[in-house]
Amino acid sequence: MTENADYSEWAFRETNPADVFEKPEALDDLLVLDASRGSFAGLYASSLLAELGAEVIRVESPEGDPARQMSPYGMMIRGTGLGYIVEGRNKFHITLDLDRDEGRRLFAGLARKADVVIETFKPGHMDSIGLGYRQLSAVNPGIVCCSIHTCGQFGQEAERNRNQPDYDIVDQARGLVMSVTGESELDADVPGTFKRPLKQGNWMGWYAGGAWAVFGILLALFHRRRTGTGQLVDCSPPEGLGAMANYAIPFYHLTGRVMPRAGNYDYAVFPYTYVKCKDGYAFISGSADPNWTALCEIIERPDLIARFPSIRERLDPPNQPTIQREIEAFTTRHTTDEILEMVTAYRNRPDRKGVVVTGRLETPRDVLRGEHWAARNTFVKTDDPHYGEVLVQNSTFKSMSRTPGRIKWVCRPVGADNDFIYARHLGLSEKEIEELRAGGVI
Amino acid sequence: MDDQESYRDYLKRIYDPGRLFDKPEPLKGIRVLEVGYVHLGPAACEFLAQFGAEVIKFEGRKGDLMRFVTPYAFFYKNMSPGLEIENRNKYWVGMHLGEPGARTIFLDLVKKSDVVVDNLTPGRTAEWGISYRELREVNPRIIQLHVSGYGSWGPWARRNSYDAAAQSMGGLSAITGFEERGPIKSGSWIADWITALMCAIAVTAALNYRERTGEGQFIDYLQVENVIRWLDWTWLYTWKTGENRGRSGNRDLAVCPSDLFRCADGWVAIAAFSKPEFRGLCKAMEQLALYDRFASPRDRLKDENARELLGAISAWAAIRTVDEVEDLGRLHGFAASRVLEAGDVYHGEHFRERSTVQQHIDPLYGPMVQHCCPPALSGTPGRIKWSSRPLGFDNRYVLSGILGMSGEAVKNLEDEGVIFQWNPDIPSHCPPPDWDGESGLRFP
Repeated sequence: MTENADYSEWAFRETNPADVFEKPEALDDLLVLDASRGSFAGLYASSLLAELGAEVIRVESPEGDPARQMSPYGMMIRGTGLGYIVEGRNKFHITLDLDRDEGRRLFAGLARKADVVIETFKPGHMDSIGLGYRQLSAVNPGIVCCSIHTCGQFGQEAERNRNQPDYDIVDQARGLVMSVTGESELDADVPGTFKRPLKQGNWMGWYAGGAWAVFGILLALFHRRRTGTGQLVDCSPPEGLGAMANYAIPFYHLTGRVMPRAGNYDYAVFPYTYVKCKDGYAFISGSADPNWTALCEIIERPDLIARFPSIRERLDPPNQPTIQREIEAFTTRHTTDEILEMVTAYRNRPDRKGVVVTGRLETPRDVLRGEHWAARNTFVKTDDPHYGEVLVQNSTFKSMSRTPGRIKWVCRPVGADNDFIYARHLGLSEKEIEELRAGGVI
Repeated sequence: MDDQESYRDYLKRIYDPGRLFDKPEPLKGIRVLEVGYVHLGPAACEFLAQFGAEVIKFEGRKGDLMRFVTPYAFFYKNMSPGLEIENRNKYWVGMHLGEPGARTIFLDLVKKSDVVVDNLTPGRTAEWGISYRELREVNPRIIQLHVSGYGSWGPWARRNSYDAAAQSMGGLSAITGFEERGPIKSGSWIADWITALMCAIAVTAALNYRERTGEGQFIDYLQVENVIRWLDWTWLYTWKTGENRGRSGNRDLAVCPSDLFRCADGWVAIAAFSKPEFRGLCKAMEQLALYDRFASPRDRLKDENARELLGAISAWAAIRTVDEVEDLGRLHGFAASRVLEAGDVYHGEHFRERSTVQQHIDPLYGPMVQHCCPPALSGTPGRIKWSSRPLGFDNRYVLSGILGMSGEAVKNLEDEGVIFQWNPDIPSHCPPPDWDGESGLRFP
């Protein structure tokens, strides 16, 4: 379609990756202190702000953030783990000992000038050392302080669990999504040992916590631009997942029932599942009546339309394994590419009854080879002066036409920016910085 | 500042749930036009709506697909819970933007709006003459976000996407599941939700920029790429080693110990990475020898060490109750938590105190209890004000209240079929069967 080609060309011109560094940045008027410890929620939050242009100062303890040690099988690149290298982007890295008065004084000095402070200590810790929102806002009323911790800063559970650290696994365990994710409880073919809650494979609890924190921070900053006042942003990562747990709460409210784990089935939309194919797995859908008809036509099984005519039959849990097996009888005879071709060809038929969506279940290696991702600069490969050749996922804000997100540098070693940042923001001389270093404060 | 006030009391005061509705909304005065359907685009707009944006949603004659997506085909007073969860606090207009007559009305609204969000097939808005190019002609300050599986250009831009397709194309499914078993799709539409959140962030960042400069912009957002972005160290690992990241069940391959364990009466998640935390766990287990052997967090991550250590914790947890393990975590400072289910959150005092779970009395559906968007903002908190609505429920409010159309003009548009309301033969389009014909309606 010409209009579509024209639209694509226009959209490409507006968001051409080659132009990113010619364009302004959305948040380049902000100074952010990220004092998070051992938390990829804090790190992801400050990454997003840094991608959008904020000056982010990572405040580590003199021995370095424990998050630098969190790496698969302990794999390190020059002493820093893979996860940290991915989330070190565009940040200045300083050290500062918050257990000492001198370190606290330096932090307070930076916070006086900052727009945002992010921290992930146990609830109340920053307040107890005089660096919480109520103390910082007394000298800087516009400041936005963001605390990220499993149960948040207040409420019954926050008080009971205030001695517990925040980890992705507990954020996922308390976030509802895990309670409904995992192999089907109702499928007799699943061995009992696998009928247990399952986390998402990635750090979903931490990343959700970080993203919700940034949403709150940007809302607070928008309000501040209009009124001049800052506020406290209290982010509990499990609440971030709970808000994304589909109808768990409304369904419980309306029926008193909890949804069972469905595996790759789905009791609200089906077929909407992963099926085995000749060369792996693929997603395939055809749930609403017209789309179900389309799916049955594609797999040459019009008899199934009458057997499972409405969503009432298709959403009935005992029917789903049967439907699944009927579809797989077809898909296991074809490759994922052949199925995509058939689905696409069907979509272009004038007599199509509905829409079927399919997609190959890609492994990480497949994804890294994807031509679309190469065209869209989804990954950035760089030769970092300290960490050498690395590849990290790019900012997903890079296709903002006016203020695209970007990666300027990948990561920095512990304390690498002490001289620059302390001189720039606190006017410390080389001699003063040397004294702090000698005293073990930085 | 009162120095005597404890942190706890201070927070209780600034987060008093009784004052929720007395506080301002951060996006008050921001008008968002939602050209969205199914889940992703509508969820992005709902996040903005919970923080005060006025979201106007346009729906075609057949009704949003989510009117027909509901667990076990269960409907409540004709309402689909699948529609409810991404569509609260909105205004509902029945108008198909591809129909003649709709475009002028839409552009008139654009003149008075701040944001337009669409999650249609890329280029569809261009076919209808309402892409960003046309919108900025009538309102140069407009921010327009388009989100789709693969974005507006590139080799795969024409491919359709759904949540589960994005989970699989983005590599999430390949790394989710047990080591010995196949890939598992999330129990929620997680790829849609997390992308919706990132869309709301992109829009809010653009609003912040516009506040400084007056400039709007176009945002192209890619759902599958967003899934890729969230997979932490996966890409660097695979690129460096040439190996796929495997499935590891609940075990965290980069934090050890961090896993889910079976207790005598349920499941408990345990994590303890730093030396003091791990020491606390070993002390609770009365096995300080484990601490001596595996004191270094980095050594613990080696595969054989991790398997041995997790095995020891597993054997220890198996004969304890979830309560016991949680209490030991509190005492010794390691992370330990049960797996919460819907009922735990619904009944949990904690979530009510935090206004995370909120109740509103809906004029159509009665008392509704819902999970609200975090985070908790002390000055400008989010809130749920009303539920999803029947098709075309707010036609009059939007056309008369915002565009100033007379009742007669609205009637003419109805007669011409430019705007429409629910089809009485399709229950999930409709108000509750016992609706009085007035409740919930907003007239200018």
